[in-house]
Amino acid sequence: MQEFISHNLAETENIAQELLSSLADKSILALSGNLGAGKTTFVKFLAKVLGLEENITSPTFVLLKAYDIDFADFKKFVHVDCYRLDAKEDLADIGLQDYVADTSNLLLIEWADKINNLPLDKVLHIKIEILGETSRKFIIS
Amino acid sequence: MRVLAIESSCDETALAVISGSGNAWFLEKNAVFSQIAIHQKFGGIVPEVAARKHAETIIPLLTETLGENKLADIDYLAVTAGPGLITSLLLGVTAAKSLAYASQKPLLPVNHMEGHIYSNWLSNDELKNNDKNYFPSLALVVSGGHTELVLMKGHGDYQLLGTTLDDAVGEAFDKVAKILKLGYPGGPIVSKLALDGDENFYDLPRPMLNSGDYNFSFSGLKTAVLYTLEKEKNITQEAVKNMCASFQKVAVEILVKKTIKAACEYKVKSVLLAGGVAANQKLKTGLQSVCDKNNLPFFFPELKYTGDNAAMIAAAAYYKLQNHLEQTLVGKDIFNLGVKSNWQIFNK
Repeated sequence: MQEFISHNLAETENIAQELLSSLADKSILALSGNLGAGKTTFVKFLAKVLGLEENITSPTFVLLKAYDIDFADFKKFVHVDCYRLDAKEDLADIGLQDYVADTSNLLLIEWADKINNLPLDKVLHIKIEILGETSRKFIIS
Repeated sequence: MRVLAIESSCDETALAVISGSGNAWFLEKNAVFSQIAIHQKFGGIVPEVAARKHAETIIPLLTETLGENKLADIDYLAVTAGPGLITSLLLGVTAAKSLAYASQKPLLPVNHMEGHIYSNWLSNDELKNNDKNYFPSLALVVSGGHTELVLMKGHGDYQLLGTTLDDAVGEAFDKVAKILKLGYPGGPIVSKLALDGDENFYDLPRPMLNSGDYNFSFSGLKTAVLYTLEKEKNITQEAVKNMCASFQKVAVEILVKKTIKAACEYKVKSVLLAGGVAANQKLKTGLQSVCDKNNLPFFFPELKYTGDNAAMIAAAAYYKLQNHLEQTLVGKDIFNLGVKSNWQIFNK
């Protein structure tokens, strides 16, 4: 387990950079944290570090949005938000199974605790805690 | 021309038929089966439940709407191909493809957001009869998934002027409702409580108001609501009402100011409101007032067409077909149609 403290957005960007350079065999980043913790903001920084030019907007309503990338073996940046789900769904029931099975997808999943059957060997958990108006703690495990 | 449209992009299964020629068309059938009551008890949507419900509903709804002789007098089929929930969209698209192929009728995929814009043609006879006088028009498209300012130069001719950089405005309403523990869907509840609140009680930030472009940001506003409430020692019913009113005031103010600024800069001849948030009374009166001041005609959809429905999809398809704007799918090509859950139609 690793912990990082960020005092501002520039430091959050550094954490995003750090995380992407030490992914190893992980392809699913599961983000958790309260409303307003900055899950989507963190995903925006991950996209920025990967050179994604498109603006990342919240996928809350449509569940997922996919973008083209070229990073290590990854070809797609798949941003998922399970916020609107009733707790505990199976991947297949929300149309995610194919996205998870395809190894060229890098998945960023907000509110991932609402999914039952994520392949845990591929998952990196990122918990964001609110410390103050601009400071956050990132717990990575 | 007679067009049958199918819509299943989220939690409503809907069918509609439009008949006519030129400007003389009418909505012949319009049926909506809403699942909101089913999802309400979960406090959100359950994609698998939604998809199953679409599957159960779509054929009986078709029989009920068109009778046993389902497709005999239909000339074209139209279907919402996106954007929306993949699992929900799949049901409508699969049904439309099967019906089109089996009955050998041409099929036209329609964008859900473009459909919302056409809800204005269903609701305003003046616009329907004389739409040439109202182009170019500025459309503010606001819903749970979208916040967009679109310059509509003519049928099917769009230019995106601005969009949200993070959360959609409808999503901000939903999340503020969640923070205040008010239930789902949040928009109508927040607006209702706002009626009894003091809209000047909390001073919330107005993100991007003076950004100089037509983009929006509502994520920070949601977070500001959260922080402001955390400073309160105990959150009374009074505080909840005041917060609903203060939040709604700011959200509406941002939308109205950016809309009228764009309307003036692009010298449009009318302003259109579209999408689920078009049901918001405060937004309608706010836009009406600035449009009146600027002598701009303002159109908005009737309440029954603000939510998801197939009538708006049929209307969008009707104008595309009338104006030969798009190729329909026929024969085996019908099977090439896939679901486009992130389909963007308004391009820069």
